[in-house]
Amino acid sequence: MLLSVENNNSICINADSSELERIRKFVLNFAEKFGFDDITSNKIALAVDEVCTNLIKHSYKYDSSREICLQISTDDNQFSILILDDGASFNPSSDISLDMRDYLANFRRGGLGLHIINLVMDKIQYIPRSEDFPKNKLILTKYLK
Amino acid sequence: MNNSNFKIEKKKIDDLAVLSISGYLDAHTSPLLEQELEKSVKDGCYKIIVNFSDLDYISSAGLGVFMAFIEDVRQNGGDIKLTNMKEKVFAVFDLLGFPLLFDILNEEDEAITKFQGN
Repeated sequence: MLLSVENNNSICINADSSELERIRKFVLNFAEKFGFDDITSNKIALAVDEVCTNLIKHSYKYDSSREICLQISTDDNQFSILILDDGASFNPSSDISLDMRDYLANFRRGGLGLHIINLVMDKIQYIPRSEDFPKNKLILTKYLK
Repeated sequence: MNNSNFKIEKKKIDDLAVLSISGYLDAHTSPLLEQELEKSVKDGCYKIIVNFSDLDYISSAGLGVFMAFIEDVRQNGGDIKLTNMKEKVFAVFDLLGFPLLFDILNEEDEAITKFQGN
Protein backbone atom coordinates (compact mmCIF):
# COMPACT_ATOMS: atom_id res chain seq x y z
CA MET A 1 0.00 0.00 0.00
CA LEU A 2 1.15 3.48 -0.89
CA LEU A 3 2.23 5.68 1.96
CA SER A 4 0.59 9.08 1.61
CA VAL A 5 2.99 11.64 0.34
CA GLU A 6 2.39 15.32 0.97
CA ASN A 7 4.67 18.10 -0.16
CA ASN A 8 4.19 21.84 -0.17
CA ASN A 9 1.81 21.95 -3.11
CA SER A 10 1.16 18.29 -3.88
CA ILE A 11 -0.37 15.26 -2.24
CA CYS A 12 -0.73 11.59 -3.21
CA ILE A 13 -3.26 9.34 -1.53
CA ASN A 14 -4.56 5.82 -1.77
CA ALA A 15 -7.87 5.68 -3.61
CA ASP A 16 -9.97 5.24 -0.49
CA SER A 17 -12.99 7.29 0.55
CA SER A 18 -11.52 7.70 4.04
CA GLU A 19 -8.90 9.95 2.40
CA LEU A 20 -11.46 12.42 0.99
CA GLU A 21 -11.40 14.56 4.12
CA ARG A 22 -7.62 15.00 3.87
CA ILE A 23 -7.85 15.88 0.17
CA ARG A 24 -10.49 18.54 0.94
CA LYS A 25 -8.46 20.05 3.77
CA PHE A 26 -5.42 20.22 1.49
CA VAL A 27 -7.40 22.06 -1.22
CA LEU A 28 -9.27 24.30 1.25
CA ASN A 29 -6.06 25.43 2.87
CA PHE A 30 -4.59 26.56 -0.46
CA ALA A 31 -7.83 28.09 -1.77
CA GLU A 32 -8.34 30.19 1.37
CA LYS A 33 -4.72 31.36 1.39
CA PHE A 34 -5.05 32.31 -2.28
CA GLY A 35 -7.94 34.61 -1.36
CA PHE A 36 -11.16 32.76 -2.10
CA ASP A 37 -13.92 33.28 0.47
CA ASP A 38 -15.14 30.47 2.71
CA ILE A 39 -18.05 29.48 0.46
CA THR A 40 -16.03 29.47 -2.79
CA SER A 41 -13.14 27.59 -1.16
CA ASN A 42 -15.63 24.97 0.05
CA LYS A 43 -17.07 24.63 -3.46
CA ILE A 44 -13.59 24.15 -4.97
CA ALA A 45 -12.87 21.45 -2.37
CA LEU A 46 -16.27 19.93 -3.24
CA ALA A 47 -15.39 19.79 -6.97
CA VAL A 48 -12.11 18.00 -6.16
CA ASP A 49 -13.94 15.63 -3.78
CA GLU A 50 -16.39 14.77 -6.59
CA VAL A 51 -13.52 14.03 -9.00
CA CYS A 52 -11.77 11.80 -6.44
CA THR A 53 -15.02 10.05 -5.46
CA ASN A 54 -15.69 9.27 -9.13
CA LEU A 55 -12.14 7.93 -9.57
CA ILE A 56 -12.42 5.74 -6.46
CA LYS A 57 -15.83 4.40 -7.48
CA HIS A 58 -15.77 4.18 -11.26
CA SER A 59 -12.14 4.20 -12.45
CA TYR A 60 -10.58 2.20 -9.62
CA LYS A 61 -13.69 0.27 -8.55
CA TYR A 62 -12.81 0.68 -4.87
CA ASP A 63 -9.30 -0.78 -5.24
CA SER A 64 -7.63 1.25 -2.49
CA SER A 65 -4.14 0.14 -3.52
CA ARG A 66 -4.46 2.54 -6.48
CA GLU A 67 -3.25 6.11 -6.29
CA ILE A 68 -4.57 9.63 -6.87
CA CYS A 69 -2.19 12.60 -6.92
CA LEU A 70 -3.02 16.29 -6.73
CA GLN A 71 -0.87 19.30 -7.40
CA ILE A 72 -1.91 22.91 -6.87
CA SER A 73 -0.48 25.81 -8.84
CA THR A 74 -1.34 29.50 -8.91
CA ASP A 75 -0.63 32.31 -11.33
CA ASP A 76 -2.00 35.85 -11.06
CA ASN A 77 -5.73 35.32 -10.44
CA GLN A 78 -5.68 31.68 -11.57
CA PHE A 79 -5.97 28.77 -9.12
CA SER A 80 -5.43 25.33 -10.67
CA ILE A 81 -5.57 21.80 -9.37
CA LEU A 82 -3.93 19.03 -11.40
CA ILE A 83 -5.36 15.59 -10.64
CA LEU A 84 -3.50 12.50 -11.85
CA ASP A 85 -4.85 8.96 -12.06
CA ASP A 86 -4.03 5.82 -14.00
CA GLY A 87 -7.54 4.43 -14.42
CA ALA A 88 -9.54 4.14 -17.62
CA SER A 89 -9.67 7.47 -19.45
CA PHE A 90 -12.86 9.42 -18.96
CA ASN A 91 -13.47 13.02 -19.86
CA PRO A 92 -15.24 14.86 -17.04
CA SER A 93 -15.57 18.06 -19.04
CA SER A 94 -17.83 16.41 -21.62
CA ASP A 95 -21.21 18.07 -21.93
CA ILE A 96 -23.58 16.43 -19.50
CA SER A 97 -26.17 19.23 -19.39
CA LEU A 98 -28.29 18.05 -16.51
CA ASP A 99 -31.78 19.53 -16.15
CA MET A 100 -32.05 19.89 -12.39
CA ARG A 101 -35.80 20.61 -12.45
CA ASP A 102 -36.34 17.29 -14.23
CA TYR A 103 -33.82 15.58 -11.94
CA LEU A 104 -35.60 16.75 -8.79
CA ALA A 105 -39.13 16.25 -10.14
CA ASN A 106 -38.31 12.61 -10.91
CA PHE A 107 -36.53 11.99 -7.60
CA ARG A 108 -33.41 10.87 -9.38
CA ARG A 109 -30.28 9.92 -7.51
CA GLY A 110 -26.58 10.00 -8.36
CA GLY A 111 -24.77 11.47 -11.33
CA LEU A 112 -24.38 14.92 -9.78
CA GLY A 113 -20.60 14.85 -9.43
CA LEU A 114 -19.76 15.93 -12.99
CA HIS A 115 -22.52 18.52 -12.90
CA ILE A 116 -21.03 20.03 -9.74
CA ILE A 117 -17.51 20.11 -11.24
CA ASN A 118 -18.85 21.94 -14.31
CA LEU A 119 -20.89 24.38 -12.20
CA VAL A 120 -18.09 25.25 -9.80
CA MET A 121 -14.97 25.44 -11.95
CA ASP A 122 -14.27 28.06 -14.62
CA LYS A 123 -12.11 25.85 -16.82
CA ILE A 124 -11.71 22.08 -17.14
CA GLN A 125 -8.94 20.50 -19.19
CA TYR A 126 -8.51 16.78 -19.67
CA ILE A 127 -5.54 14.97 -21.20
CA PRO A 128 -5.99 11.18 -21.36
CA ARG A 129 -2.99 9.00 -20.60
CA SER A 130 -0.76 8.09 -23.50
CA GLU A 131 2.45 6.29 -24.28
CA ASP A 132 4.30 9.52 -23.51
CA PHE A 133 2.66 9.99 -20.12
CA PRO A 134 0.97 7.04 -18.38
CA LYS A 135 -1.50 9.00 -16.27
CA ASN A 136 -4.72 10.85 -17.05
CA LYS A 137 -4.41 14.55 -16.31
CA LEU A 138 -7.37 16.63 -15.22
CA ILE A 139 -6.77 20.32 -14.59
CA LEU A 140 -9.50 22.24 -12.78
CA THR A 141 -9.14 26.02 -12.79
CA LYS A 142 -10.94 28.74 -10.87
CA TYR A 143 -10.29 32.44 -11.30
CA LEU A 144 -10.20 34.82 -8.37
CA LYS A 145 -12.49 37.68 -9.37
CA MET B 1 -23.97 6.16 15.57
CA ASN B 2 -20.64 7.71 14.73
CA ASN B 3 -17.58 7.65 12.58
CA SER B 4 -14.43 9.61 13.40
CA ASN B 5 -15.61 12.55 11.30
CA PHE B 6 -19.37 12.13 11.17
CA LYS B 7 -21.94 11.65 13.93
CA ILE B 8 -25.69 11.23 14.16
CA GLU B 9 -27.70 11.84 17.31
CA LYS B 10 -31.31 10.69 17.32
CA LYS B 11 -34.26 11.82 19.37
CA LYS B 12 -38.01 11.29 19.14
CA ILE B 13 -40.55 14.04 19.69
CA ASP B 14 -44.00 12.40 19.63
CA ASP B 15 -44.19 10.89 16.13
CA LEU B 16 -41.25 12.90 14.80
CA ALA B 17 -37.70 11.61 14.37
CA VAL B 18 -35.02 14.24 14.75
CA LEU B 19 -31.53 13.41 13.48
CA SER B 20 -28.81 15.86 14.44
CA ILE B 21 -25.83 15.38 12.18
CA SER B 22 -22.31 16.70 12.65
CA GLY B 23 -18.98 16.63 10.87
CA TYR B 24 -18.55 15.77 7.21
CA LEU B 25 -21.15 14.05 5.02
CA ASP B 26 -19.36 12.59 2.00
CA ALA B 27 -19.00 9.31 0.08
CA HIS B 28 -17.24 7.80 3.10
CA THR B 29 -19.79 8.73 5.75
CA SER B 30 -23.11 8.91 3.85
CA PRO B 31 -23.89 5.15 4.31
CA LEU B 32 -24.30 5.85 8.05
CA LEU B 33 -27.03 8.42 7.41
CA GLU B 34 -28.64 6.14 4.86
CA GLN B 35 -28.85 3.37 7.47
CA GLU B 36 -30.50 5.71 9.99
CA LEU B 37 -33.09 6.96 7.50
CA GLU B 38 -33.73 3.40 6.39
CA LYS B 39 -34.40 2.40 10.02
CA SER B 40 -36.74 5.31 10.52
CA VAL B 41 -38.76 4.48 7.40
CA LYS B 42 -38.86 0.75 8.25
CA ASP B 43 -40.22 1.67 11.69
CA GLY B 44 -43.01 3.60 9.98
CA CYS B 45 -41.70 7.01 11.04
CA TYR B 46 -42.11 9.26 8.02
CA LYS B 47 -41.90 12.65 9.72
CA ILE B 48 -38.20 13.32 9.85
CA ILE B 49 -36.21 16.41 10.76
CA VAL B 50 -32.50 16.57 10.00
CA ASN B 51 -30.72 19.24 12.02
CA PHE B 52 -27.52 20.35 10.23
CA SER B 53 -26.25 22.78 12.89
CA ASP B 54 -22.92 20.99 13.40
CA LEU B 55 -22.47 19.76 9.84
CA ASP B 56 -19.49 21.36 8.14
CA TYR B 57 -19.58 19.73 4.73
CA ILE B 58 -21.81 17.87 2.29
CA SER B 59 -20.99 16.35 -1.11
CA SER B 60 -23.28 14.84 -3.75
CA ALA B 61 -23.08 11.51 -1.92
CA GLY B 62 -24.80 13.17 1.06
CA LEU B 63 -27.40 14.85 -1.14
CA GLY B 64 -28.12 11.47 -2.71
CA VAL B 65 -29.18 10.04 0.64
CA PHE B 66 -32.02 12.57 0.91
CA MET B 67 -33.04 11.91 -2.69
CA ALA B 68 -33.25 8.19 -1.90
CA PHE B 69 -35.98 8.65 0.72
CA ILE B 70 -37.93 11.82 -0.03
CA GLU B 71 -40.40 10.28 -2.47
CA ASP B 72 -41.23 7.29 -0.24
CA VAL B 73 -41.56 9.47 2.85
CA ARG B 74 -43.91 11.97 1.14
CA GLN B 75 -46.03 9.18 -0.36
CA ASN B 76 -46.61 8.07 3.22
CA GLY B 77 -47.78 11.48 4.38
CA GLY B 78 -44.46 12.56 5.84
CA ASP B 79 -41.50 14.70 4.89
CA ILE B 80 -37.80 15.18 5.49
CA LYS B 81 -37.33 18.74 6.70
CA LEU B 82 -33.81 20.13 6.84
CA THR B 83 -32.86 22.77 9.39
CA ASN B 84 -30.04 24.91 10.85
CA MET B 85 -27.70 24.74 7.85
CA LYS B 86 -24.45 26.67 7.83
CA GLU B 87 -24.17 29.05 4.89
CA LYS B 88 -21.49 26.98 3.11
CA VAL B 89 -23.61 23.82 3.40
CA PHE B 90 -26.75 25.60 2.17
CA ALA B 91 -24.66 26.93 -0.75
CA VAL B 92 -24.20 23.33 -1.98
CA PHE B 93 -27.96 22.63 -1.82
CA ASP B 94 -28.59 25.93 -3.55
CA LEU B 95 -25.99 25.29 -6.28
CA LEU B 96 -28.06 22.32 -7.44
CA GLY B 97 -31.54 23.76 -6.94
CA PHE B 98 -32.38 21.44 -4.05
CA PRO B 99 -34.41 24.12 -2.23
CA LEU B 100 -37.03 23.53 -4.97
CA LEU B 101 -37.66 20.05 -3.63
CA PHE B 102 -36.72 20.18 0.04
CA ASP B 103 -38.22 22.19 2.87
CA ILE B 104 -35.15 23.94 4.31
CA LEU B 105 -35.81 25.89 7.50
CA ASN B 106 -33.70 28.07 9.75
CA GLU B 107 -34.60 26.40 13.03
CA GLU B 108 -35.56 22.92 14.23
CA ASP B 109 -38.52 24.41 16.11
CA GLU B 110 -40.00 25.71 12.85
CA ALA B 111 -39.92 22.19 11.42
CA ILE B 112 -41.57 20.75 14.54
CA THR B 113 -44.31 23.40 14.36
CA LYS B 114 -44.90 22.71 10.67
CA PHE B 115 -45.20 18.97 11.25
CA GLN B 116 -47.50 19.42 14.25
CA GLY B 117 -49.66 21.81 12.29
CA ASN B 118 -50.29 19.17 9.60
